[in-house]
Amino acid sequence: MTSFEFRREFFADERQGQLNEIGKPTIRQDILGHVTGRSPYYDDHLFDGLLHMRCVRSPHHHARIVSVDFSEAARMEGVRRVVGPDDVPKNLNTLLSLIGFGKEDEPLLTPSKVAYRGEPILAIVAESERQARAAVQAVRVEWEELPHVLDVEEALKPNAPVVNATYPGNTFEYYDKYDHQKLRFGDVEQGFAKADQIVEGSYRMSPIEQAPMETCGAIAVPETNDRIACYTSTQALFFSLATTAKLLDMSSARLHFVGGTVGGGFGGKVDSIVEPMSVLGALLTGAPVKFMWDREEEMQVGAPRGAELWKIKDGIDSRGRIVARSFTGYFDSGAYTRLSSYAVVKATGHLPGPYSIPNVASNVFCVFTNRTPATAMRGFGITGVDFAIECQMDRGARATNMNPIDFRILNAYRDGDMKAHRRLAKNTALIECCQVVADKARWIIGSQSRTQSSLRGGGGEKAHVPATVIDEEGRIGDRRRSDVPTAPHSAGGRKRRLPEGSLRGEDVVAAPPQNPDMLGDAPASDPAASPENGRTLARPRFGPPAEVQVDRPRPRRPQARERPAIPAAPARPSTRRPLRRRTSVSRHVSGFRRR
Amino acid sequence: MIKVDTYRAVAEAEASMDGQSRYMGGGTLVMRDLNYGSYGFERLVRCTDPRLNSVRRDRGRIVIGAGLTMAECAENRDLAFLAAPAMGVGGPAVRNMATVGGNLFAPPPFGDFATAMLALDARVRTAGGEELGIEALLASRRTFRRIVTEIEFLPPPRGGFRFRKVSRVKPKGVSVLSICALLPQSGGRIRGARIAFNGMGATPLRATGSEAALEGRPLDRNGIAPALDAALQGLSPADDELATSWYRRTVAPVYLRRMLLERSHAY
Repeated sequence: MTSFEFRREFFADERQGQLNEIGKPTIRQDILGHVTGRSPYYDDHLFDGLLHMRCVRSPHHHARIVSVDFSEAARMEGVRRVVGPDDVPKNLNTLLSLIGFGKEDEPLLTPSKVAYRGEPILAIVAESERQARAAVQAVRVEWEELPHVLDVEEALKPNAPVVNATYPGNTFEYYDKYDHQKLRFGDVEQGFAKADQIVEGSYRMSPIEQAPMETCGAIAVPETNDRIACYTSTQALFFSLATTAKLLDMSSARLHFVGGTVGGGFGGKVDSIVEPMSVLGALLTGAPVKFMWDREEEMQVGAPRGAELWKIKDGIDSRGRIVARSFTGYFDSGAYTRLSSYAVVKATGHLPGPYSIPNVASNVFCVFTNRTPATAMRGFGITGVDFAIECQMDRGARATNMNPIDFRILNAYRDGDMKAHRRLAKNTALIECCQVVADKARWIIGSQSRTQSSLRGGGGEKAHVPATVIDEEGRIGDRRRSDVPTAPHSAGGRKRRLPEGSLRGEDVVAAPPQNPDMLGDAPASDPAASPENGRTLARPRFGPPAEVQVDRPRPRRPQARERPAIPAAPARPSTRRPLRRRTSVSRHVSGFRRR
Repeated sequence: MIKVDTYRAVAEAEASMDGQSRYMGGGTLVMRDLNYGSYGFERLVRCTDPRLNSVRRDRGRIVIGAGLTMAECAENRDLAFLAAPAMGVGGPAVRNMATVGGNLFAPPPFGDFATAMLALDARVRTAGGEELGIEALLASRRTFRRIVTEIEFLPPPRGGFRFRKVSRVKPKGVSVLSICALLPQSGGRIRGARIAFNGMGATPLRATGSEAALEGRPLDRNGIAPALDAALQGLSPADDELATSWYRRTVAPVYLRRMLLERSHAY
């Protein structure tokens, strides 16, 4: 058994000594139903005349549909409706279209070409599940198998099969310009040239299925008021509702979605496939329709955490400092986009991990292969690359003959350091976490490491956006024409050097925060504007002066007229004590004690 | 539509069976097939004869009903030596339903209890009164169409029966393979060992090479060495989702060694 241990000695001035929630017993609002077995699964909802929907799926990784003959299936006992691609009003979608990201690339029922094993092409609605299964077996499909590609690096080669017609280069397209997400910070090539040694590593992660206890599914039930109720396993209720309304070209006001709190999700129940299918079945038959994956479908077509491949190159100086780091990352999106495009952006924002490295570059690809589409799962976009980074840190420690914890503390970021995505680090606590971990593991670290603090040594020179080399390699379509190397700065072509403190040729301090309440411990922009151009100084003063704690301004309190006209939730004065001052409380250092 | 017929007498149940019927013991295999669209049958046959759940002694042999559940078997004092293989089957819900008779027909990765029956050299009896050895049943089980009613075997000598289930997920993973051994000793030496593996072929199989190599040998590191070298004779594990054939071949002698040397696993 473990217990939470609050290490009060760290950052003592940032909060009151008492935590109000963490480590305290709290009754979850849904726990009574769980422990008494009353929390309903979606499959617990029973309806008279319930019909069952099952899909005809591709047995091939990649194939063209030559013909489909469902005449025998349609005549079978109990079969009420055969649902084909033409029955889907808008049979092309991409999940993140709801936030305007990406192109429509995935049909609900595939009309002409399948791009992964298990891709649905037709659905049967029957009076019993057994009848639906039997009818699915009776559908005759003639396939023309196509060459397939299952490896991300193979998929980027010029002659690789085109997996996804919307993205003929087999990659998601970023900003209508590049076939990958770029990150450029400083000059990695110069950093590598100055380094005493180069350490390279390659890290590969397999897909992981979320394996929920209740498989994905939904039951759609026509209501008398021309609405459809949908009892669903979704973990993103309104996302699924909006996706259903979009695919079926109907007003979302006609949809009444009912979710639940049991059955498991872990990211595997956001893809909103089963809801439009069941609602479509109900619309076409006028009867309640259940579309529920069996366990085999859950494993085969349920979108997993995607596979990843990361190649990391470090330049390390004689003191053990990482002076340059470059990444080439590949997210295997499977045949369609789902959420991997977003995972790439998320991962890029995380680079180069919690370390202060003056020169960083990355090319991260969202690659289409003939595998099951990948989706969300617990920190997707971050966990994979974090694994790669920490393995690489161990490799760097071995290469420099350093204690791995000392190596991490030496290279750790600190409050006030500029991160590669142009935000100042704040509330950093890696150093303290390393110190606590070393204690807990009885791992001896150097006296120098013992005296370090996240509050000291950051900022100053490290608060600057360095002069940065940019390039235009990897434009959309380039890789179809020739074999273009994938690592940053490896493809040749025109490069430019942006002056220190600038981004895209414009002087910047850092990317501005989107909301005032995101202002944490460091100023978002330097109040001292340049007298020369009336804009921010090209070389702004970032972070604290040397040897001074990071300035922590109070966040701007919203004005009375800005407050939302929503009654506040009842407070719990007995358990919640007001904080002495409003500061970010995202930094925790804790240890886990085994009892 | 699936039809379910329940009979009081097992002979009636057997007489009613035809090509479209499937006998249902505990249902842990049949219902899965049914739910996942197996079309080999249209009718389920059940039997409520209480004798199917009995445990008795007959001239020194133990006779257990084929309908005895794994949970009942694990709780039965007279069957304490079978508690480990019975508890190795599924979780509590599965053990509450899964039967001894059904396990004889369970393909890998299931069927670990049948491995114990093979090590014990059990004999099975059918509703029609026919008797046959466990090996003959296992060899013909894919096409066997009679209802097994009883299984009988001699109780093992004290300290002479061992079972080990090998899974990659602890404590309740699916079996990669399992090993069961009957190890009678005389004067500190093995006499007439029977060693059975599950997961090393399409059915539980005897490691006849190891059995022969153990004859007259003591159960110590040197004594079992020839048996380990011969462990894979006659076994042909397959590649599947749980492990490759190579992996099973590699680990089988290792687990056999651990089982033979670790006395804590002996009943």
